Amino acid sequence: MSTVVGKATIRADGVEKVTGTGRYTADLNLTGQLHAKFRYADHTHATITRIDASKARALRGVHAVITHEDVPDQKYGGMVQDRRLFAKEKVRWEGDVVAAVAAVTPEIAEEAASLIEVDYELLPPVVDFEASMAEGALLIHEDWESDSGDESMGRDRNTLGYSTIVKGDAGAAMAGADVVVRNRYVSDCSQGVPIEPRAVIAQWQGGKVTVWTSTQVPYAARAGVAHTLQVPESNVRIVVPLLGGGFGAKCDFHFEGHIAALARAARRPVKLVFSRREEFVAIGHRREGIVIEVETGASRDGTLVARRARLVLDKGAYCGEGGFFAQMAAMHACGPYKIENVSVESYLNYSNTQPSSSIRAPTAPQVCWALEQHMDELARALDLDPVDLRRKTLIEDGAEGPTRQVFENLAMKETLEQAVELIGYGQELPEDEAIGVACGWWPCFGAASGAYVNLNPDGTATIVTGAQENGTGAVMALPILAAEQLGLQPEDFSLLYQDTDAAPSDMGSCGSQTTFNSGRAVVEASIDLREQLLDAASSELEVDRGDLELVDGAVRVKGAPDKAVTIADLAGSGTTFHGKGSGDVPEAPACETEGCVGLLGNESFLSPQLITHAAHVKVDRGTGVVRVLRVAAAHDCGTIVNPIGANGQVTGGVVMGVGQALSESTQIDENGRQRNPFLLDYKLVTAADAPQIDIAWVETMTPNAGPKGSKGVGEPPCVATAGAIANAITKVIGRPVRRLPMTPERVWAATFGEEE
Amino acid sequence: MARQYFEPGTVDEALSVLAEHPGADLVAGGTDLVVGARQGKRPLGDTLVAIHRIGDLSDLSETDGGGLRIGALVSHAELESSPLIRERWSALSDGSILVGSPATRNAGTLGGNVANASPAMDTGSPLLVFDASVELTSTDGKRSVPLSEFFQGPGKTTRGPSELVTAVDVPPRPVGSVGSAYVRLEYRLAMEIAVVGAAALLALDGGGRVVEGRVALTSVAPVCLRVPEAERLLAGADATEETFAAAAAAAGLAAKPIDDVRASAEYRRAMVSVIARRALERAHERAREAA
Repeated sequence: MSTVVGKATIRADGVEKVTGTGRYTADLNLTGQLHAKFRYADHTHATITRIDASKARALRGVHAVITHEDVPDQKYGGMVQDRRLFAKEKVRWEGDVVAAVAAVTPEIAEEAASLIEVDYELLPPVVDFEASMAEGALLIHEDWESDSGDESMGRDRNTLGYSTIVKGDAGAAMAGADVVVRNRYVSDCSQGVPIEPRAVIAQWQGGKVTVWTSTQVPYAARAGVAHTLQVPESNVRIVVPLLGGGFGAKCDFHFEGHIAALARAARRPVKLVFSRREEFVAIGHRREGIVIEVETGASRDGTLVARRARLVLDKGAYCGEGGFFAQMAAMHACGPYKIENVSVESYLNYSNTQPSSSIRAPTAPQVCWALEQHMDELARALDLDPVDLRRKTLIEDGAEGPTRQVFENLAMKETLEQAVELIGYGQELPEDEAIGVACGWWPCFGAASGAYVNLNPDGTATIVTGAQENGTGAVMALPILAAEQLGLQPEDFSLLYQDTDAAPSDMGSCGSQTTFNSGRAVVEASIDLREQLLDAASSELEVDRGDLELVDGAVRVKGAPDKAVTIADLAGSGTTFHGKGSGDVPEAPACETEGCVGLLGNESFLSPQLITHAAHVKVDRGTGVVRVLRVAAAHDCGTIVNPIGANGQVTGGVVMGVGQALSESTQIDENGRQRNPFLLDYKLVTAADAPQIDIAWVETMTPNAGPKGSKGVGEPPCVATAGAIANAITKVIGRPVRRLPMTPERVWAATFGEEE
Repeated sequence: MARQYFEPGTVDEALSVLAEHPGADLVAGGTDLVVGARQGKRPLGDTLVAIHRIGDLSDLSETDGGGLRIGALVSHAELESSPLIRERWSALSDGSILVGSPATRNAGTLGGNVANASPAMDTGSPLLVFDASVELTSTDGKRSVPLSEFFQGPGKTTRGPSELVTAVDVPPRPVGSVGSAYVRLEYRLAMEIAVVGAAALLALDGGGRVVEGRVALTSVAPVCLRVPEAERLLAGADATEETFAAAAAAAGLAAKPIDDVRASAEYRRAMVSVIARRALERAHERAREAA
């Protein structure tokens, strides 16, 4: 029986982070180190006609200035290879890097960067990502057809991802529906905003480079350095010191190649530390803007007979790792509902703006916000209570999803019931207050991983994993899973998790799958180690190994606890014990959809995480200012390994969701530049604004879940918050707010302006 | 040229440094100067004069006639927690408590806030409704400039290049039961900057009629400004909802807001009336409590 899974465990890296003794990348300094600065694009869309770095190179204190001429001519990118380390023919957004400088101080590097002469021929910036699909629109990647990329992306000119979900005949069913509701919603782009801005230090020793970097994906960073600099992966070692948050903003190979190239040219270690402004405009820091058109046909009793949707997403200038966004958004336009006929089209388009990345549950909060408002509008049209409409239409055991995947053992409806009970749905409230409810889902998918568990001579153990801790506590929970197999306590383990030379390759911290996949590997490695200990104890005690168990730091005879040998004694006996494991990756579910382009975003709903949030808000009708008083959050994330960590994820996710709902917006000018790339005018939620948050976990044993029946926890908590808040606002002001975020000005305009 | 740094211990020392280096950057809390330089708004000057160690600029006291003298180095945190300010100069307490974060309020000074002349300054309209003036000192002597003349535009004041803001002087309050308040439109509850703010002061007679009313606005024009049109409607009027609504509407018309990243001009203008009315109502409540 489990002794530690599900018990509150304080994470091992907590004390050093809270007390300030932890060391992050920017805290490191190497002997002889130089400082890097980038020269960014001077225009958001332009052809480069000349680069002259001679004045920069001549500046005293400058050791290296590099451009595209100084690195191999290699394009790269996760799903479409559309990008170079340094802009060559064109610049495509304000953060495109044209050159990099290494100098003895950051100030000299900055001055040198400004001395680089770059001539351009200007092109009209393509900022409207919906208009960029039009026939004859100016191409952002004019040679898109020659860029290599995933065949299933459905690329076409400025559209780099196209995905459809088709089930049944939505057109005919819509025509026959009793009630049809159709709405258009627009979500601004927003930002991930980890507290730690990115930092990278690279040092070459002979032909090998070590890069210390603030990344969520060390193995992708290693592959990126190897590819762009054309060196073997064995010559590249990525080390991640403590990571000060990521939220997906550090979820790709970003600047490790630039700094490794600079360090090689300068023949010295080189350090890059971003300012907050640089962090704001950098690749991958952004959550995509989306235009969402959704139409639902229902019969009088509330049965959903048809769903049509058209989604257009802003990918920005380059693909990066986010090529699957069109598919993911299409799944969220269906949502966790039973719908007989579906036709969804989803476009992921280039624009001359910052590239979007997998910011915590990419596409989900925006599409969920739209869909859940739309469901409330449908409920009004049907004269049904919105919660009753959801009771009738949410998926349950045996339900068939939009891709004909049949779901088993999931607790979608239970999350709804728990959330409405926690919030006190239906209670009498003052006229400026209301409660709104929203439901959503998020995938959990299988990926390869591996781990070692090494027993130390004193009986403690070290877990070596490729998983990366980005702050969620997922890696910090791995000792719980190992301890449970070995009869040890979580405190008995140390973790080596941030070094690509130490552990097997891993996806890194993305997609809420660390516990699901890396947890599985740690369990398998622990079982391997346990078997070795049972063998050793069996010969030591001269007892059949089947009669032995691992409990309280000892291997003992079942039923005769005095007959035992401690794990420490076995470990100190001169034999080495080391387990390794991977486990079998669960198979992706069968997905069947006519006309579907690419399935990654669909198949990833292997064992979905299910969410209902209910928000109690107060609206100042005079100003449009909304305060969220309470949020009840009910989740089915399977078995909870560490409640402290899981509750922390929900608390943070809800607060992030409140920001997405009410204030977090990146405003873009007519040239594609950000108007508010700093924390004064990019409005994060402060502690003072955080609502009371009540949390419920519905623990189910979903087939194909991770270790001990766990699913992911990291991303789902921010998915449904904005939708719940939106539905509460509409109840107070009597009108929907169809722009995200629902800023005071937009709420005020919706209250007093003309109805759309 | 290398940067020069001075750290005078007395006002006189500071004034001679300024006389030798006209236009030098003065640093007290550094919350505008340093943050502005980091954000690329304006680089730090070549000559820095740090005045935070000058002891005799930190005095906060009531004058013999019932007015107020606030030394240039008095922090927002001191204004926010001073019982004197809270009770008799409530609008200034309201404004001080809203500035930035606790760290900003403990480091930032009133003198720096005034000299920085941001149209979004939360202490600006409260000081305007109190008819405050700025004491400017140089090696040539002292002069006093009413705050309404001191502010010339965003970041622009009538301070000369060798003058130091040494104090803010506030005359005695008007006769009658006096209440004052500052209300800000707040998108969020901490770390906020004013999008629209309004200060109001009301002096009531024994019958509850407005003897004198003053209204000033923050963040809706190039400078914080008083609204004489609103004040004319208040003077001698009954303190009713209608009176406050009319005065607030006049304030809305007087605002000259702009479109920027924080709000549209249209929204700002509409909010001026809403916020000014709330400031008047709160000032009225306080005036009645004082009666």
